[in-house]
Amino acid sequence: MEVREREAAAGHQRVRLTLRGTWRGAVEIVPIALFVLPFGIAFGAAAAAKAVPPGIAVLMSATVYSGSAQTATVSGMAAGAGIGASVVTILMLNARYLLYGAALRPWLGQASTLQAYSSLYLLGDGNWVLSMKAHASGESDTAFVFGSGVAMFIPWLGGTLLGSLVNEWVADPKMLGLDFLLVAFCTAMGVGLIKARRDWLPLGAAVVAAVVVDRFASSSWTIVAAGLAGALTAFARAKEPA
Amino acid sequence: MTLRLELLPLFLAVTLAAFVCRAGGFWLMRFVNVTARVDAALKAAPLGVMIGIMVPAALRGSTPEWLGLLAAVLVMRLTHKDLVAALAGVAMVALMRAAVG
Repeated sequence: MEVREREAAAGHQRVRLTLRGTWRGAVEIVPIALFVLPFGIAFGAAAAAKAVPPGIAVLMSATVYSGSAQTATVSGMAAGAGIGASVVTILMLNARYLLYGAALRPWLGQASTLQAYSSLYLLGDGNWVLSMKAHASGESDTAFVFGSGVAMFIPWLGGTLLGSLVNEWVADPKMLGLDFLLVAFCTAMGVGLIKARRDWLPLGAAVVAAVVVDRFASSSWTIVAAGLAGALTAFARAKEPA
Repeated sequence: MTLRLELLPLFLAVTLAAFVCRAGGFWLMRFVNVTARVDAALKAAPLGVMIGIMVPAALRGSTPEWLGLLAAVLVMRLTHKDLVAALAGVAMVALMRAAVG
């Protein structure tokens, strides 16, 4: 009886998506999430310019949830590309998420299956980077990933709807420097993450990989290459405890 | 292009493709024994990814982007607050782009 109660309690705790963790993630992502809005608007407006109705644009934002992949898919659809081409485009542009998901396993793997996969559905560059940093700085609640994901998803959908209804977007997000936010955030977090001398070798390997791959591949592959270079260097240097 | 039933297969396919990317790595790691070395590798991945996001911006950019990166690094070292540092970088880029026009 006692054992069963304890198991039930443990099971309950495993499934529960804590409100506190969700809230913490949502609040911490707000500055990044605000910057997502203009990009949602830009995508909505671009889709409207290609005669994509608001319903389809929002549906695409809700299902693909990736600016570059959606823009490419919409262009492909307008040009009459088939399903296969659209799928390949998305796989190519989003390959980096395989690495993101793998890195989340030791932490997010502690959550229930439903929570883990719904958090992954909502995963974006910004909330992944922020979640990994939060975890490295002691955040243990897996709901952080979910909360920061939801808080970024909403302005993306809202922006898409707004952009496709208004039909034009005069301000260029680039002129406002908004495209630089993720870069600046990564730079700042990277500086904050480097704690010991052992971090410098993976960092150097990542820089070399990024510089090389950037010459002939899209930025998504540069991310994959740099992430793998850092990870493999750390793997080679780490020692198994005897 | 309207909301037609013919679009359903396309939407199912792109949704699945996007989800396979997001969930695939996490799912595959079920079958990997996370040893100390694997753990070290996974922990080093975020820093590598950050470099992978930063380097193309630095290589493809010019003065505004370089000064923006510099501003982000300096402000981070001074304040230890990544939000403040990121906003400083963005502000620098916006100002310089407006100045260079």
